[in-house]
Amino acid sequence: MTSILEWLQFVLAPQSINGLSIGVAVVLMALGLTIIFGLLDVINMAHGECYALGAYAVVVILGMGVSFWWAFLLTPLLMAAMGYAMERGLIQQVFHSKDRHTLTLLLTFGMATVMEDAIKIVFGANPRSVEAPISGATELFGLFFPNYRLFVMLLGGAIIVAVWLLVFRTSIGAIVRAAAHDKDMSASLGIPVSRVYSLTFAFGVALAGIAGVLLAPIYSVFPTMGRDFVLMAFSVVIIGGMGSIKGAVLAGLVLTQIQSLSSLLISPVWNDTLLFGIMVVVLMWRPQGLFGKLGHA
Amino acid sequence: MLDRFNSNSSKPNAVRILAIVFFATALLFALIGTVMGDSFYIRLATEALIFGGLALSVDLLLGHVGLLPLGQALFFGLGAYVSAVVLKEWAASFWLAIIVSMLFCAFAGLIGGLIAIRSKGVYFALISFGLAQVFSRVIYNTRELGASDGMTGVPVVTVVPGLQTDNPLGFFFVTWLVIGGLYLVLRYVMQTPMGRLFGAIRVNEHRVCFLGFGALRFKITAFVAAAVVAGLSGALYPMLRGFVSPELMFFQVSGNAVVNVIIGGSGTLIGALYGAGLLTVLKSILGSFTVHHHIVIGLLFVVVVIAFPRGIVGYLVPVLEARLSKKKTGDNS
Amino acid sequence: MKAKKILAMMALAGLGTVALAQSGPIRIGVVTPLTGTYAGIGEQVKWGLNLAAKEINASGGVMGRQIELIYEDEEANPSVAVQKAEKLFQTSKVDFLTGTVNSGSTLAVGQVAERNNKLMATTVSFADSITGERCSPNVFRVNARAGMQSAALAAWVASTKPGAQVFYLGPDYEMGRSTVAAFKSAAEGKGAKSVGELFAPLDNKDYSPFFGQIRSGKPNVIYTSVAGNDTVRLFSQMSEFGVSRNVQIVGASGTVTGQNLAAIGKAAEGFVTGAGYSTMIDSPENKKFVAAFKAENKSDPDLYGADSYGVLFLYKAAVEKAKSTETDKVRTAMRDLKWSTPQGVKTMRGGDHQAMQDMYAIIVKNGKFEIQSRVSAADAIGPDVCTKF
Repeated sequence: MTSILEWLQFVLAPQSINGLSIGVAVVLMALGLTIIFGLLDVINMAHGECYALGAYAVVVILGMGVSFWWAFLLTPLLMAAMGYAMERGLIQQVFHSKDRHTLTLLLTFGMATVMEDAIKIVFGANPRSVEAPISGATELFGLFFPNYRLFVMLLGGAIIVAVWLLVFRTSIGAIVRAAAHDKDMSASLGIPVSRVYSLTFAFGVALAGIAGVLLAPIYSVFPTMGRDFVLMAFSVVIIGGMGSIKGAVLAGLVLTQIQSLSSLLISPVWNDTLLFGIMVVVLMWRPQGLFGKLGHA
Repeated sequence: MLDRFNSNSSKPNAVRILAIVFFATALLFALIGTVMGDSFYIRLATEALIFGGLALSVDLLLGHVGLLPLGQALFFGLGAYVSAVVLKEWAASFWLAIIVSMLFCAFAGLIGGLIAIRSKGVYFALISFGLAQVFSRVIYNTRELGASDGMTGVPVVTVVPGLQTDNPLGFFFVTWLVIGGLYLVLRYVMQTPMGRLFGAIRVNEHRVCFLGFGALRFKITAFVAAAVVAGLSGALYPMLRGFVSPELMFFQVSGNAVVNVIIGGSGTLIGALYGAGLLTVLKSILGSFTVHHHIVIGLLFVVVVIAFPRGIVGYLVPVLEARLSKKKTGDNS
Repeated sequence: MKAKKILAMMALAGLGTVALAQSGPIRIGVVTPLTGTYAGIGEQVKWGLNLAAKEINASGGVMGRQIELIYEDEEANPSVAVQKAEKLFQTSKVDFLTGTVNSGSTLAVGQVAERNNKLMATTVSFADSITGERCSPNVFRVNARAGMQSAALAAWVASTKPGAQVFYLGPDYEMGRSTVAAFKSAAEGKGAKSVGELFAPLDNKDYSPFFGQIRSGKPNVIYTSVAGNDTVRLFSQMSEFGVSRNVQIVGASGTVTGQNLAAIGKAAEGFVTGAGYSTMIDSPENKKFVAAFKAENKSDPDLYGADSYGVLFLYKAAVEKAKSTETDKVRTAMRDLKWSTPQGVKTMRGGDHQAMQDMYAIIVKNGKFEIQSRVSAADAIGPDVCTKF
């Protein structure tokens, strides 16, 4: 690697593109988290397990002989249903108490433990693999990239854009934002706030499930996979600003790029620590994150 | 999470009774164990008390100041490692190990506090979690500290002449005294103005500042105190089991402590100890029936959070109170 | 008066217990991960032990006494393992203990065994230190240790690819690094050249950032010591990106095992490792063992199952030689004892309590572990560095 151009082509570019594929995954996870927080003011510590369940859903559906694309369509619906039930059945119980913040944190933490154990009991502790629906690789910048990864990047990007449009350009999105901004006013305008809550939670969980489906062929499936992304997703949400979609997207992409490129300089073991350090610094300097709440984008 | 500011003279009595019951039962249990000649149960009870100390430190933060620490095992493990290193490399002295562990954890708590304390809620929880992750990774990779295998060979030491740490009943008694002492100190602190301030911070931090108190300073004090409590409990672990391993700092230990506190009853201090004791017993019993005891405890935790957020002690206290005041009015009339 | 009566009764009871102990079942405690990430290994351990116990009991037991196995779940956590071990020694009064999987648990439980003056053996842990610097007079090891595995693999690499250009990729923690270092020195001793070394964090999701570096080293052999889920990801990503094309992948024995082979799938084809067992070992004992194991458990045995099967026969042979289950006598009997196992006749080296056996280079072909070459026990064993007894 003597010339700068070679370095750019063979070292920087692939790192950056890899960072992008990880970044899309992280943003999908962070989006669900930030939307749930932005509207319900609930921190979903079970988000990682929802991601894991999405991946296991693919395993089950593929095991029944159905193609990956059906899994991709069905899983978000299944996850949304589960999320709706979770919100109605469990989170609503503690939602109106005085200590709501701590209780929902504890509740979702408990749910995460139960879900992880349930996965271990039902599916066993050994890892599973999911065959990527698209095989082969294309040459980009003189290097090979698996087609499936490129597909994930593009599709993930499309989903992120779709979510943005949904939240900011549709009336459904307007309803959600209104409920986030002023719950009582929205209720008095006839918005069924409590149903909006449940549906939004379901939507956030479905997003995590989609991330699980898309990433299963790349990162394999095993019971503790929820922990892979959780710290990173939370850091992204915190740095971007709880409840801010713009923040989640920007912070997600930028942070994964930083992580990817930093592994050229420092040993990759300290990647998580670096991220953690950035999160601490941002929290100390600007506790509300880079951008504001859902109500204000 | 009770509002603890209506001073009701029968309430401290109820808690006091529960505390006496706990410590008396523990002692009785150990004596029975000695008579039956089985040191396994005594050591198990000692271990339950040690983890009860960790739960106490979590309750100090969660139940009293209102911060959820998801990484308190960091200080527990730190105390354990420092104690083990002191005993192995420096001098096989019980008191030295204890004091050095406490100092070390106080210092670590100060640094951790300065990083973490400006945040609340989930931010604090995540920073606490992240700190524990980072440190356990450092220990996991340090060959001199045994790396992933941990360190064995912690020597037996003398606590006072005639009492060695490998004496099951004797060491149980030492632990009983230490944890009991910690409990009493914390109880006392909660009655002082500073202790009341912790509660005030939990209820409404902003108002505290308007009353002229620097909330930050008190939160850091609480954090350091919790670190020392956790570290002191951790320091006892290698004396009991003769080894330390990085698993002592892992999230599972922190999570278990939180579960202990919630099920036992947060904000009551004694609830943390009850939680640790009851869950140790529960795990032992469940473990003989099924290997899936984790999920049972997880479900129990969820049920408690939804239906009994005050925990066992939280629900027993009003019942006891009622009975006590009935007695009182019965006497007066 | 009363005191004397009580003392007499206690003495009688004591004698009675001793007498009972000499004729009742021999209790063997098993502390193994029955839940958690290593549950798959614990399952093989259980299967191996159960089969051995069944066969031994059917042929009359040990010195006429039946073997009783008592299981406890250690959850792959040394703190839990120590607790359960103590329970087994004190409450269940086992005569012997086995089953620990990770090295931390083995070392910690070994200490418990010392304190209770009982013996234990591991059939899975492969850290060299267990029969090396951290050896213990109460701990025996029936399986091959890391040094032996490296020896077999290095010999194979040297013979099939002389002067190989090797790239090393390991998980960045002490065990991962030392495994890589051990193989590196064995391989370099036989003429291989190192073209690069990389350590990725444990539980790393994405290895693609490292492929550029690997490719630029132009290796013809890649050695890796990752395990479990990390292997699944590494191998499938390497095959995705074409890194494994025209490169021989070799690794530690824990890298590709029965537990993750199904998930790795085709990407594991051609992987070679050094290990002490394969179902293809061509001996009548092994064929009988594999058939019985499959009939009982509907699954092939792997090295953990085979070694766990072998440990009970070691104990049987030692007790029969010592004519007693007393710890000191059994320990003396176990030292330098030869006993027969599905892998042939193993010798338990007295100097460090490490079993000596022939080692094999094993290749993954069509989802099965097949033998490529063999290194004799004497060549593989390595020096005795235990100085504690």
